[in-house]
Amino acid sequence: MPPIVVKPPTLQALWRSLPSFGGARRYLAGGTDLVAGANAAPAGVKARPKGGSFDRTEVWVDISGLKELRGIKETKTSLMIGAGAKIAELEASPLVRRWLPVLSAAIPHFASPSLRNMATIGGNAANASPCADAVCALCAEKAQVLLEFKGKRRKLALPALFKGPKKTVLRKDELIVAFEVPKWKHSGAYLKLGPRSYFGISKAAVAAALEMDGEKVRSVCIALASVAPVPLLAVKTANYLCGRMLNEENARTAAALVKTEVSPITDVRSEAGYRREMCGVLLERALNSIASGVSGIN
Amino acid sequence: MLNAIFKLKCTVNGVKIERDLDSSRTLLEFIRVDLGLKGTKEGCGEGECGSCLVLVDGKAVNSCLMMAVQLQGRELTTIEGLKGREGGLHPLQKTFMEEGAVQCGFCIPGAIIAAEALLRENPRATSEDIKRGLTGNFCRCTGYEKILSAVEKSKSCR
Repeated sequence: MPPIVVKPPTLQALWRSLPSFGGARRYLAGGTDLVAGANAAPAGVKARPKGGSFDRTEVWVDISGLKELRGIKETKTSLMIGAGAKIAELEASPLVRRWLPVLSAAIPHFASPSLRNMATIGGNAANASPCADAVCALCAEKAQVLLEFKGKRRKLALPALFKGPKKTVLRKDELIVAFEVPKWKHSGAYLKLGPRSYFGISKAAVAAALEMDGEKVRSVCIALASVAPVPLLAVKTANYLCGRMLNEENARTAAALVKTEVSPITDVRSEAGYRREMCGVLLERALNSIASGVSGIN
Repeated sequence: MLNAIFKLKCTVNGVKIERDLDSSRTLLEFIRVDLGLKGTKEGCGEGECGSCLVLVDGKAVNSCLMMAVQLQGRELTTIEGLKGREGGLHPLQKTFMEEGAVQCGFCIPGAIIAAEALLRENPRATSEDIKRGLTGNFCRCTGYEKILSAVEKSKSCR
């Protein structure tokens, strides 16, 4: 660092010019993870020489200007969210507010207002942090992710994108271009436990999306952040809830079950045992808040 | 061989400029080193502290995390570009002084930019809105009370 930054004008131009960028290249979108990482000095090393000699081993391909990655559109059955959409754009979008209650609940807990003006939803996924709030929420919304390489596209369920902390199944140069999120009639909650009310990294977070059929649960999706190497779907817990009444007793059982599905670690932010316990507490609160018709807020 | 030099056209505090720029510059380095505008501060370099906030197209961003080439065609406002309606100090600058919201002062340009972005979008921000609007700005001196009351007070003199 610092690298050379190039700005292809269109997606097509990007695919055409990729080989000329050399081997070590990375995509630059909002910069909130990539530039922060480059600014950070490894222990004992001064990272970024101010006006000094530059190590130009990397090329950053700036995709923040690509129109193909922008916008939030509606089809009959889903929302198409461009990977380049800023978190603040999602926050302001009437479509997101109308169709994606879990994501809407998560966004106020995503970093700070200025970082939300910069960070993109595609970058939040590509960074593959297990604590990514918007990604966890989109997993509960049953989102799929669209990947493209030289005009060829493939589509994955969003949780399948992640292999581990900071690791995805993205192939070399493959780009996240959009998220396809189904429209379904659900309520949602996002409960995040962090060191403070806002602008913290979670110790644990629970995203729950739930569709009712009368008094019974028709469909439910539960995702958790910061309690596994990847954004985690609690499949067993969701299966348990499906077809059952949404009441306090079932919420308690679901809370006990979800604790068996997570695999938290002890690190600087929290302890494994506490995190596991809190998954149960947060899920129970989320389910009870949905049951009482109040969208989950911290 | 890729060219590391980039031709940047943008508006800085109301003035159109054109510069040959090293593409590896962050926006913060461009502002402080190339433009010589020292009001914008570097604190943490990772988006935590908010000392480096500037407005790009009217929205607050952390200039330490944006690359200067991403300013192409856009409008930058730094703390030096904020003014009152008839010149002189901006209302936020006045109320920060009146309320004694400044101690060491390092975080203040960023805090004022965050408050300005918030009040442009929502001139009637509640005290809760103001707190949330400033969540990305750390002050290690004041304990925030005076900063919050300065922002609150500035609403009536915008």
